[in-house]
Amino acid sequence: MTFHDVYPWFAGLHVASALLFVGGLIAETVFLSTLPEARALDPAQRRAVSAVRAWDRRVTTPAMLLVWALGLTLAVMQGWFSSHWLQAKLVFVVVLSALHGVQSGTLRRLAGGTGGARKQTVPIFVIVICAVLIAVLAVAKPF
Amino acid sequence: MTGTAPHPGDDDVRRLELAQLRRLEIASVLEATTLAVLVGIAVPLKYFAGYTIATRIMGPIHGLAFLFYIWTVLQTVTGGGWSGCAIARLVVAAFIPFAGFTTPAFLRPRLKALAAG
Repeated sequence: MTFHDVYPWFAGLHVASALLFVGGLIAETVFLSTLPEARALDPAQRRAVSAVRAWDRRVTTPAMLLVWALGLTLAVMQGWFSSHWLQAKLVFVVVLSALHGVQSGTLRRLAGGTGGARKQTVPIFVIVICAVLIAVLAVAKPF
Repeated sequence: MTGTAPHPGDDDVRRLELAQLRRLEIASVLEATTLAVLVGIAVPLKYFAGYTIATRIMGPIHGLAFLFYIWTVLQTVTGGGWSGCAIARLVVAAFIPFAGFTTPAFLRPRLKALAAG
C-alpha cells in the first residue's frame, strides 16, 4: 500500500476533523457570548459550562489535534510546504487554534467558578472568515 | 427542577489549575525534546551525512509538538494570574533549544502554592 492509496482516506479524515473542530469552536463562541460578564453564573449556567467544556475536551480539542497531525502528514507527503496557498492557509489555522486555546482556557476558568465570559469572547465573524478562507485555499490552491 | 448544582469552590479551582499546569509541564518537555532531537540529531544528519529524511520526519513532529505547547500556554494563561514577563518567558522558551526543559522548574513555585492551597 502506497501513500497514494491512503491519501483520500487521510484527506477525508482531515476534512472531517476540521468540520468537528470549527463546529465546536463556533458553538462554544456562541455559548460564551450568552453568559454574563463579571458576575457569578447561576446553577443552570454552570451546568451548561460543564457540558460545553466536556464536549470541548472530548471532541473539539482531539479534533483540532487530528487536524494538525493529518494536515502535517498530508503536507509532508505531498511536498506542499513550499506552496504559498498552504503557507497562507497555515496562518488561518494557527489563528483558529489560538482562539480555541483562549476559549478553552475561559471555559476552564468558568468551570472553576471565577468571573464572567464576555470580555474574552472571540468575534464570530473572525472564525467564519478564517474557516471560509481555509476551505477555499485548500480546494482551489490558487497560488 | 430548581437547579441545585453545587457551587464550585476553591478546591475545584485548585484541582483544575493543577491539572492544567501539569499538562503545561508535559507539553514543554515534549516540545523541548523534539526541538533537541531536531537540532541535535536530525539537522547534523542532514548537513553532515546527507540524510535529509531525518529532518523530513522530525520537522513535522516538532511542528506538532510546538503547536501543542503554544496552544497549551494560551489555554493556561487565559485562566488569569500570569504577568506579561511570565507569559513571554513561556513563549520564548519554545524557540530556544533545551530551554523548555527548565519550564517545569519555572512552574514549580506555582504548583507548590496551588497544592498548598
